[in-house]
Amino acid sequence: MINTVCDEMCLPPTDMLYGSPYEFLETGIEGQALFNLPFGDIVNFLTPYTAVLFIFALTFTIIAAISKPERQVDTVFGGDACYTKDIPQDTLRFQRFMAIACGLATMGGIMAGDVFNFTLFTAFIGITNIGIVAAVKNKHILDNAFEYGLLAMIGTLPLFVGAALVLATTGTLSMWGLFNSSAAVPLFAKLLLVIGVIAEGMAPVFVAKAEITRAPGAPFILMVHVSSLLIFLRMIEIVISV
Amino acid sequence: MILLYIILAIIAGLLFHGIHRKVIARIQTRPGPPIWQEFLHVMKFSFKQTWIPKTASKVLFVAIVPAVIAIWAGALYVLLTGGSLLIIFGVYLLHKITEHGLGLSSGSPYGKFGAIRSVLSAASEIPLIASIAGIYFITGSLMINDIVAYQAANGMLLITALPIALAMYVIILSKVPYSPFGIIEAKEIVSGNKTEHFGAFRAGLEIGFALKTFVLLAVFVTVFIGAMPFWMLLAATLILLMTMSFICALTPMLSPYDAVTIQIGVIIIVIVYMAFMAVFGGMP
Repeated sequence: MINTVCDEMCLPPTDMLYGSPYEFLETGIEGQALFNLPFGDIVNFLTPYTAVLFIFALTFTIIAAISKPERQVDTVFGGDACYTKDIPQDTLRFQRFMAIACGLATMGGIMAGDVFNFTLFTAFIGITNIGIVAAVKNKHILDNAFEYGLLAMIGTLPLFVGAALVLATTGTLSMWGLFNSSAAVPLFAKLLLVIGVIAEGMAPVFVAKAEITRAPGAPFILMVHVSSLLIFLRMIEIVISV
Repeated sequence: MILLYIILAIIAGLLFHGIHRKVIARIQTRPGPPIWQEFLHVMKFSFKQTWIPKTASKVLFVAIVPAVIAIWAGALYVLLTGGSLLIIFGVYLLHKITEHGLGLSSGSPYGKFGAIRSVLSAASEIPLIASIAGIYFITGSLMINDIVAYQAANGMLLITALPIALAMYVIILSKVPYSPFGIIEAKEIVSGNKTEHFGAFRAGLEIGFALKTFVLLAVFVTVFIGAMPFWMLLAATLILLMTMSFICALTPMLSPYDAVTIQIGVIIIVIVYMAFMAVFGGMP
């Protein structure tokens, strides 16, 4: 995605962007890259920082895939009896599917070497998070899923506009190039990216409102928290580095 | 060698927890437990009968314990090798996920309330982001080796960037036992997110939390004072912890909303400080 009509702010030609995988990307923020996988000018890569995030996302995705949910204990209102809540089989299947999709999107966002891909995966995380919460057939929970859905949809606007501004001002979306370039990304573009990720990553707050006493499904609901925090951590790395 | 350091850090962390309890007790004119009480706790829990509650999500209930130990052992490795402060920041946030998972996994309402409070107290991460951004703007790097080198050339960040150090201090304070910000384990919800983890699981958690305490204190000392021999690091971290013991002994547990309000106040102070530095000089 290198712009052919760059001014002096633009990056060097594509063939100058990649050296040896182990000698190129080294920043004062997260150390030297451990691994890279170039697709044209888009280079997917892992640094020690993103490797930690990736391993964590992978671990919790596996846990979500193989765990059965907890059976939440609740008290009968007005009495001293207790009962446990169970998740119906079809809801369980759907939540598990969404949790795994959410984990895959998170891993994609962590490994993305392109700002546009990062924003796509972030939007994907928002969609899967809505799915995890909205799977529960309860008015209060569906209300929260609806509110979060609106926020996530609105959040895609600054998210993608931020990515578009990065391309317009630097001539590339490749992080591999941007991290090593002196071409400055405008503060406004960074701000839009931050606002977009925060809007997509607000899901745990809505889940917290809904799940206090109503929704069992710990391994799946936890994926909402995992994905939001991990994508937030990746966003911090990108915003500081570009 | 790194394994030896991890074991030493666990021992130091457990001892620190014991000293912390002792100092709090003495300030409150109580005799308090012996300083090796936390070792005794770990030993006791290790050999007590252990089972998984019938209502728990079994895999998550068990997996969360090694996850706590693993992330803080990783953070210690990063600190010892002079790696990126951003990774330690990441580990701090990953710890938040483990706190949440710990409470959700059992099916207990007490654990779940602890988990929900963990989400609410996410405000404590905001001062951390501000602190780390401030360190980056001042030193031009987030690699711990570079930050240590910067301090060797320009003096301690504890003096030259005091508001940032104070923000980090509040963050660490929020994670020590009996902290006024420790809303996730408040006694009105029994032991909060840890309520249902007992026996060997609780022993594992105590080990992970001891490691966390030591790592956070050691990060503060290294980043704001500088590199030093291991024995001196132990002494400095202990002094730092004892200052926190005074605060824990003299301050009641805050309500969840008060805790969040104070943490937001801290970030405003850091942002004003950084804006002041940017306008009137002081940042490279």
